[in-house]
Amino acid sequence: MTDRARLRAGLVVLLVLLVTAGRASAAAGELTVSVDRTTVRATLGRTFLIRSTITNHGAAPASGLIAHLDVLSLRRGVYVDPEDWSSRRTRYLAPIPAGSSTTSTWQLHAVNAGRLGVYVAVLPRRETPTAPITASTVSVTVAGRRTLSSGGILPLALGIPAALGLLALSSRLVRCRPRRSASSSRKGARS
Amino acid sequence: MTATPTVAAPARRSAGGAIVLEQELRDLWLGGRALVLCSGFSMLLSVLAYLVATNRALNFLEQRETVNLTLQVAVAVGALLALLTAADAISGERERGTLESLLLTPISKRALTVGKLVAAISLWLGAYAVTIPYVWFLGRGVGVAVNALAVGAVVGTLLAVFLASLGILISTFSSSNRVSLSLGLFLLLALFAPTQLPSSAVQGWAGELLLRLNPLTAGEHYIGKLVVDGHAWSDDASWLLSPAISAALLFAVAVAAGSRFARLHGGQFG
Repeated sequence: MTDRARLRAGLVVLLVLLVTAGRASAAAGELTVSVDRTTVRATLGRTFLIRSTITNHGAAPASGLIAHLDVLSLRRGVYVDPEDWSSRRTRYLAPIPAGSSTTSTWQLHAVNAGRLGVYVAVLPRRETPTAPITASTVSVTVAGRRTLSSGGILPLALGIPAALGLLALSSRLVRCRPRRSASSSRKGARS
Repeated sequence: MTATPTVAAPARRSAGGAIVLEQELRDLWLGGRALVLCSGFSMLLSVLAYLVATNRALNFLEQRETVNLTLQVAVAVGALLALLTAADAISGERERGTLESLLLTPISKRALTVGKLVAAISLWLGAYAVTIPYVWFLGRGVGVAVNALAVGAVVGTLLAVFLASLGILISTFSSSNRVSLSLGLFLLLALFAPTQLPSSAVQGWAGELLLRLNPLTAGEHYIGKLVVDGHAWSDDASWLLSPAISAALLFAVAVAAGSRFARLHGGQFG
């Protein structure tokens, strides 16, 4: 193979790579992610739903997409473990046909009180690094509440075992008494 | 149980089950053994109820979760008490040397087994009665107390029948009480093991099948669905199949085995 032929082959490969990369980035640019609401008010311990819609505006089907949900505190000093908020935070999406969209429903459990941010990001399953596409952040305000009044638990927690213990003790005493009286009367008869 | 060898009329055989049951209940409850066990059970529930009611780290969760936690512990430990009592029933009499006089009475082995089995199940009923005030206290604010107590009664009774039958079965074939009790506890731990598996390990059809087939995990799952998720009784009724079938099947097997194999010398299990 001559140098010119080698150069031509190299240029063809480069062109193919550029076209493929161009298509891929165009496909990524033609996707949008939206959420059904931007604010949520919840109470500690309750669950709520967020729906995200991924739309493919391109002319070709979009495949190999992954949607991921994340939760973070908007205030410093609050530890948030997203695993506690949602057990299924990553979804491997089915191909989205051109001009179509897919909706994912995320169930969240309000585990921390305060102001939190929730967002959904979509990224392609490609090896070439690309920036994720995100929907606008959902601002979640979780009101704290004491879920249980501890008033009255102490008498209950102490009273029931004590009552049962007394009952067990008295039944044992009742059973022992006839034996003792019988043995003492036997002793009396012998003397 | 004390024997009554003077009774010889064949008519007494039909009423034998009731006589055995009455005597067993008397021994168990008036003798104080059941009260001591129930007292220990109530201490466990007291610690748990106090923790979930006062500890902020546990208290931050949904109140339904606390009711579910308390009820599941109550059902599991209540059924364990029934198993322990049943595992002592035949092998205990054998070891104490009272089985011989008991077998000489004109009471059929079947009546003896049924009487002892029902008496063991009565321990679960006692444990359930102890559970009522705790569940009522924890669940009154969110209106789940009545539903939780009802589902606890159904699932707990099925599991108690299943485990007590298992205990009687083991006790019939065991040569010593030690073997009977340790085998019963080992089987109970094996049945509870799937509850400790991480959630990812029990996902998929195989994982769900394992949970559904195991009466303990199926029963606890059903309780959780009703109490925490607020499902209707009929929504997850298929989860009750395993506890119900196991309870009926093992009850029949335990009575049949007790009727045929309750002998002076056990030892088929060791």
